[in-house]
Amino acid sequence: MNKKNSWLNILSLSFILLWVILASVPFLWTLWGSFKVESDFFSKQDWRNAIFGVRTIIETGGMFTTNGYEGAWIKEEFWRAALNTGIVTLSVVTISLTLGTLGGYALARSGFRYAFWILIAALIFRAMPHITLVSGYLLPFFELGLWGHLSTTIIVLVAINQPFTLWMLHSFFSTIPKDLDESAMVDGCTRFEAFRHVIIPVMWPGVITTGLFSFLLAYNDFAITALLLTEANQTMVPKIASFLGSAQEQGNVMFAVAAVVSATVPLFMLVMFFQRQIVSGLTAGAVKG
Amino acid sequence: MASITLKNLSKRWGGFVAVDNLSLKIRDKEFLVLLGPSGCGKTTTMRIIAGLEQETSGDVYIDNIKVNKLEPKDRDVAMVFQSYGLYPNMNVYENIRFPLKIRKTDPKTHDRRVKHAAEMVELLEYLHRKPSELSGGQKQRVALARAIVREPNVFLMDEPLSNLDAKLRVSTRAQIKHLHHEMQVTTLYVTHDQIEAMTLADRVVVLNRGVIQQIGTPSEIYDKPQNLFVAGFIGNPAMNLISGKIKNNKFETETISLNGFRTNDGNVTIGFRAEDAIIQPNKTRAVKSNKISVPVYSIELLGDSTMVSFQISGSLISIKAAKEYSAKIGDVVTICIPISACHLFDSDTGNRIKDTL
Amino acid sequence: MPHYTFLKFIWPSALAMLVFIALPIMSTSVQSLFIEHEKILETVENCTPFGCKEITKVDLEATEAQKAENPLGKFNGFGTYTNRNHLAFSELKQAWRESNGLNEFLAEVFNLPFYKALSFTLSYTFIVTPFVIIIGFFIALAVNRLPSFLKGPTIFVCLLPMIITPLIGSLVLFWMIDAEGIIGSFLQSIFNDPNLSLKASPTLTWIMLFVYGIWHHTPFAFIVFYAGLQTVPRDTLESAMIDGANRWGQTRHVIIPHLMPLAVFISLIQIMDNFRVFEPIIGFNAQASATSLSWLIYNDFRSGDGDMLFGSAAATSMLTIIGVSILMTPVIVRTWRANRPSQGVS
Repeated sequence: MNKKNSWLNILSLSFILLWVILASVPFLWTLWGSFKVESDFFSKQDWRNAIFGVRTIIETGGMFTTNGYEGAWIKEEFWRAALNTGIVTLSVVTISLTLGTLGGYALARSGFRYAFWILIAALIFRAMPHITLVSGYLLPFFELGLWGHLSTTIIVLVAINQPFTLWMLHSFFSTIPKDLDESAMVDGCTRFEAFRHVIIPVMWPGVITTGLFSFLLAYNDFAITALLLTEANQTMVPKIASFLGSAQEQGNVMFAVAAVVSATVPLFMLVMFFQRQIVSGLTAGAVKG
Repeated sequence: MASITLKNLSKRWGGFVAVDNLSLKIRDKEFLVLLGPSGCGKTTTMRIIAGLEQETSGDVYIDNIKVNKLEPKDRDVAMVFQSYGLYPNMNVYENIRFPLKIRKTDPKTHDRRVKHAAEMVELLEYLHRKPSELSGGQKQRVALARAIVREPNVFLMDEPLSNLDAKLRVSTRAQIKHLHHEMQVTTLYVTHDQIEAMTLADRVVVLNRGVIQQIGTPSEIYDKPQNLFVAGFIGNPAMNLISGKIKNNKFETETISLNGFRTNDGNVTIGFRAEDAIIQPNKTRAVKSNKISVPVYSIELLGDSTMVSFQISGSLISIKAAKEYSAKIGDVVTICIPISACHLFDSDTGNRIKDTL
Repeated sequence: MPHYTFLKFIWPSALAMLVFIALPIMSTSVQSLFIEHEKILETVENCTPFGCKEITKVDLEATEAQKAENPLGKFNGFGTYTNRNHLAFSELKQAWRESNGLNEFLAEVFNLPFYKALSFTLSYTFIVTPFVIIIGFFIALAVNRLPSFLKGPTIFVCLLPMIITPLIGSLVLFWMIDAEGIIGSFLQSIFNDPNLSLKASPTLTWIMLFVYGIWHHTPFAFIVFYAGLQTVPRDTLESAMIDGANRWGQTRHVIIPHLMPLAVFISLIQIMDNFRVFEPIIGFNAQASATSLSWLIYNDFRSGDGDMLFGSAAATSMLTIIGVSILMTPVIVRTWRANRPSQGVS
């Protein structure tokens, strides 16, 4: 290793270190702060209070307090929003993957020109800002009495998710050799049986990656859930936004902080467990597509 | 058992013609090889027969029944794919059994039939392995076993040996030939490798750009190529071709001239095989030959013989000599091309000129 | 695959996209041509012991009835498009006539809600996207050089800003840079200026939003590039080494060309995603200094005494869709060329 190379190493290491700090500190700080009282989290007198929690000790007597979590989960019934998020996310992931695998498989195997045009249309649909679609939904949904229900939101999120799902799965299925389903068809399967017996058992890596991205879309959405759901049916993200309006008045931002930390935990778990699938899935899918 | 008839079969993708008005009859129990360079439409033809590709026009008959509209599963064909198409989630036993299971044949017979098929391709000790744990040759044999297990009417094989190394190719080739002899099933075999075609086929169909160039037994194809394409494609090395003019029974190019061609004047290409020309001919031999003196371009020892090549009128000409033969690159030698070994082709149409010698 | 089979597989997906993407776009375009009914006023005599007075009030019943009869509102043609809140043609003309010099004119223009939002949206898109690609590329290179036991944890941490809910991510940063938050008060104590606030200045707010955008999107570019780096052809890299290329030369001549299609892919996705910037404005509570097109639409639904301004929102939506289409055209044409179905052979 010559001198120039070791300089390069130091440079690249410090660059990474900087990014790791930028990427992690906001979360660590919010997690830490969520167990403090508001006057520590927002510490006007001395920024060091946020770290040492001086006010927390004075106000509650302990280093940490769970007041924020109790307020959010029990007083403000955040569990309801969490439950709704759970229902919406699970349904969206399941339905999008079901539709997406069928469609993506057909697109990968069609060989006709129109399959290509469907993909281009999907690409254009993918570009539409979600909120512009919402302005198309609201009036008809009001008129038809569909507005406000979880099921409507689920279907809308599935549809909005389809273009991306189709692209991902299309490129994934294109990497599965055609020989596989074709030999199944010669062996005596219909196209659908070939899909069921031969393709489904080998498609899980691609489906898991696509499912992760569907999950993120449904879980993280704000524009659609905020505008399409009644207050009672709200999911976590719009609920947090509405905390800000009401909580700030009551001087209880800490509810929102606690809710934010609670909503982030599942995302952390997800990346921890599926990190490998995200990286390898992108290699197989998006990178080639 | 079955025969296959193709009538005016065409397949187009946009402006690209893969198969052009092809008609062909494959006889019952025949081993027919479709031979041609890549992109000649041979695989497409096979896939249309299997029902994996839809023809643009024309008809396919299996046993005189029109099958155009039938799904692949209803055509009772078995196919062996180039990349094997094994189901990675099933072990060898399940792979071979799959066609029986999916066709709902009597479950009691499954075990016996799977074992029998595995035995025929010598796979019995690998039945419990996953495809990922097999070598290329073993995978290919699983694909074969899966094809023979349900005793179909027709075998289709799409370049089954092209992913194997040279040594395995020879042994698997022999195995395929043996299997065909034992099972007596009509077989259509697609390859770009003329040695496979020559060794396996009852009849060979040479295809280029979606059009049949010649149909015949291997020796007919080798001995009497019907046009320049077949002449240049078949044989290892392919036939030597020199283009020039016939004038007054004399073949002439800018650099050489050969006597004794009793045909009409015009642009022709003469062809002769590497083993038919002779270097430094024995003067006592009474052959009606023409002699040319040229420098050696390259010399390669093949083991059983020596290949000597020359550049004549812009073409690379190879001539087989005895393995003891030796010369240096650049040495001027005399070569002798017997008239009787020459094939004549019309340079404009590429077609063989009727033998008049 | 025969057409019929294809249809059997694709129809649920196609139907979902048709009904919930294509149809709403059409519904939006129709709505944009209509405007809410005016409220029907009625004059009633309001009698009190001190005498009768005529007052005007909204006839709720009649208003509701009118709304029920024709929920779209009344036809307005392109009126909504040209009003002050959208393309504002007459205001533009007036500003052009009355302003001295270009600067004043532009200042006038960027005070109009649509142009203000458009200018932020475009700046956000075209500042964040290149930064994301460049920083993402260097992080990918650097992570690829790490010893393998460090790679996993580093990738995990590097991905966090991407997977976080945009609203939550912006809230977290917002709380930190708030005048009373840890960074905000830290800066105040450094500069010894108790009134220093990133929120107060429009320029600082814009920069703050850009920084958030880069922070949030860089991991995506990083992970795609990182995945691409795993597929760099070793042969080409090794022949570059033998040909005498140093580390920079290898990067320049082998790695960058190999990752180029990915950079196109990332910029495609980034332009789409950044053009719809919305959540950070809510999270940072930044609407006073920075608005985006998406935010305008949201605002039309949230403001206006409980009445949603469907016509106005729809017109902004249509303009946004047109904007996205213009931005996407070159990339889509490129994708179209690259993915044009190759002709089947043999």
